[in-house]
Amino acid sequence: MRPGFSPRGGRGGFGDRGGGRGGFRGGRGGGFRSPGGNDGGFRGRGGGGGFRGRGGPGRGGRGGGGGRGGRGGFKGGKKVTVEPHRHEGVFICRGKEDALVTRNLVPGESVYGEKRISVEDGELKVEYRAWNPFRSKLAAAILGGIDQIHIKPGAKVLYLGAASGTTVSHVSDIVGPEGLVYAVEFSHRSGRDLINVAKKRTNIIPVIEDARHPHKYRMLIGMVDVIFADVAQPDQSRIVALNAHNFLKNGGHFVISIKANCIDSTAAPEAVFAAEVKKMQQENMKPQEQLTLEPYERDHAVVVGIYRPPPKQKK
Amino acid sequence: MLVLFETAAGYAVFKILDEKKLQEVDSLWREFETPEKANKIVKLKHFQKFQDTTEALAASTALVEGKLSKNLKKILKKIVAKDAHEQLAIADAKLGGVIKDKLNLSCIHSPMVTELMRGIRSQIEGLITGLPSREMAAMCLGLAHSLSRYKLKFSPDKVDTMIVQAISLLDDLDKELNNYIMRCREWYGWHFPELGKIVADNLTYCKCVRKVGDRKNFSTSDLSEVLPEEIEEDVKAAAEISMGTEVSEEDINNILHLCDQVIEISEYRTQLYDYLKNRMMAIAPNLTVMVGELVGARLIAHAGSLLNLAKHPASTVQILGAEKALFRALKTKRDTPKFGLIYHASLVGQTTAKNKGKISRMLAAKTALTIRYDALGEDSSAEMGAENRLKVETRLRHLEEKGIRRISGTGKALARADKYQHRSEVKTYDPSGDSTLPAVPKKRKIEEVEEEETEVTVKAKKVKAEMKEEADVEEGGELVKKKKKKKEKKQRMEEEAASAEEPSTSTAVENTEKKKKKKKIKVEQED
Repeated sequence: MRPGFSPRGGRGGFGDRGGGRGGFRGGRGGGFRSPGGNDGGFRGRGGGGGFRGRGGPGRGGRGGGGGRGGRGGFKGGKKVTVEPHRHEGVFICRGKEDALVTRNLVPGESVYGEKRISVEDGELKVEYRAWNPFRSKLAAAILGGIDQIHIKPGAKVLYLGAASGTTVSHVSDIVGPEGLVYAVEFSHRSGRDLINVAKKRTNIIPVIEDARHPHKYRMLIGMVDVIFADVAQPDQSRIVALNAHNFLKNGGHFVISIKANCIDSTAAPEAVFAAEVKKMQQENMKPQEQLTLEPYERDHAVVVGIYRPPPKQKK
Repeated sequence: MLVLFETAAGYAVFKILDEKKLQEVDSLWREFETPEKANKIVKLKHFQKFQDTTEALAASTALVEGKLSKNLKKILKKIVAKDAHEQLAIADAKLGGVIKDKLNLSCIHSPMVTELMRGIRSQIEGLITGLPSREMAAMCLGLAHSLSRYKLKFSPDKVDTMIVQAISLLDDLDKELNNYIMRCREWYGWHFPELGKIVADNLTYCKCVRKVGDRKNFSTSDLSEVLPEEIEEDVKAAAEISMGTEVSEEDINNILHLCDQVIEISEYRTQLYDYLKNRMMAIAPNLTVMVGELVGARLIAHAGSLLNLAKHPASTVQILGAEKALFRALKTKRDTPKFGLIYHASLVGQTTAKNKGKISRMLAAKTALTIRYDALGEDSSAEMGAENRLKVETRLRHLEEKGIRRISGTGKALARADKYQHRSEVKTYDPSGDSTLPAVPKKRKIEEVEEEETEVTVKAKKVKAEMKEEADVEEGGELVKKKKKKKEKKQRMEEEAASAEEPSTSTAVENTEKKKKKKKIKVEQED
């Protein structure tokens, strides 16, 4: 059941924060933060690139890498409606073009320069942040029509491969103030950005450690309901299994993003996915669904499953 | 059997009440399904709470490295004292080894232990009484943040916000200082206008006023530390015949307050500048070496942060600060500016106007490299900056040398500096001229002198200005070689021609005539 949604523009359609996984996309400028209070966030500037004023504490980033081609849609001020998605905690914003959004836990702040949408809900003003499926595997999976993501308000999530915290911020939005996200990232550069995100959102717990050794961060993590893994390592099944043995509750779920190129670049992607699934089954992780991430990513798949399923009741 | 369980709030030691259940590893999870069941199988023996985050941080760093922290050692010692025979179940095999070595406590780590740990972790709230879950969560969060910062070696002296703030404050101070000084001059000028004209420097003016106050006190006060001698005299003289108005005690007091402020702010400004220099050297040493502290700080402030500045390409670094001119030029399709803030760098300042554009471009290119090195590199030495600066300076030198034009002639040909050729000029004394006996008869000498004269005039026009020997040597050579005319006639010609050319061309003819006379006289003398 696909919510009617048209994919957003081309790559680099959203302002790029730089850093993150392996450097820049869309080349220009960096460190761009949408100014607060601007409804609908960023406006694409034509011509020679917008220069956002000088000095002060503002980030005078040069022009915008994003926002020109393929943005369409939300010119500030237009009327849009937000309706809940089938998955709890996720919403769809309907306007000239539709977008996947999550409710902003920290209103007024943009994490990586994404657009924010403010909607009047009677007396309350609610803010939502746009979720880019080209940058986030989880958004791509949701738009691809995955059956269950298991990440819901109040859940405790262990996020392996958190990078600069762009998708982590959306997961944090979904689980809300009651839930918890343990974000594990090994790289120091990305870790710095992750810590900055975690400063603003108190339901994110940053862990700058190698996910291959879960016993090293056992002091910080309690039992979790869901493990989301986006580590892009050849031994990622083993990594997830180790973490699951340590921290995932019985009957808990896992969502793993598999990059075929990363596991084995010579084999066919389908073969790679099948091999990974087999490895998971050996570790007492039962896969339940598999979905490829076309058209957002090439040769990527997401596998959702259950860990230590409770024994079936014999009727 | 005992179990050691580390949490964010502290160390917990559990005692296993029912060891038989441990045998069935696969169904162990059932025992931890509810808090009550969990309490039946394990019991909290000892809980050592961390006093503060520093303690927790020390404990967790020790845990990451698989070492024994002091706290842990203390707890384990207590256990050893009480239950030395018990085995200790731990989550990390490496740690187990260490404990065994140091405290002689046998540890176990097995799949059964992993299951046990899982169970305890899932019921941790129920098992550790007296610890509200909110506190646990808060400790967890705090510990995670401090651990991450520790990992990233978050050092406070690498924060570039200080630079941005300091340079903005410096500019603000300058503006304020200027305002105050102008006000002070104007105000005091009502009372003693001549002082403003005599003392040009602002700070000295204020110090002067501060010291003296009313005009009447000028003659009696000693201004030697503030002013140099002559100016002091001028000031004292002017004070006598000043045409300013009289002012009361109160007015003078206010002016003095203002002068105090000015002096204080000036001192603070110098202090702030020193602070800025230190910070710049600490945060971006290579950038400082390339363009200087002030320009470097302004670049960082303009871009917002050092990391932002590193993301700009070199062409942007070149014109940072000239955005108004840049966009105006782009819109009207004219030439874009060649330099922005980088104009104030010393390397650009010391070139001619023609080369400023080129140097600014070269400097921006190398500066962009140093900025990236400072922002993203791990090393914090200034050698890369020094190398780059050297490269730019060499280029600058080549640029300047290429353009030097000849002074004489039309002035359009480029100067050619001859390639240096080392000519070993070792002159040995020629003893053949030592004899005082006349070597040749008179008559021949006069003829040859005449010949020489004609040849000299001819050569004078032909020979170029290439002086090798000094004048006295030439003179001496002349005398000597006159006697050796047969062998060294040509050389003599050259020398004489050279000596003829030595003085300015206008007197050349005159000199040859003079020399002719000299020769004749000498010849006569010899005779």
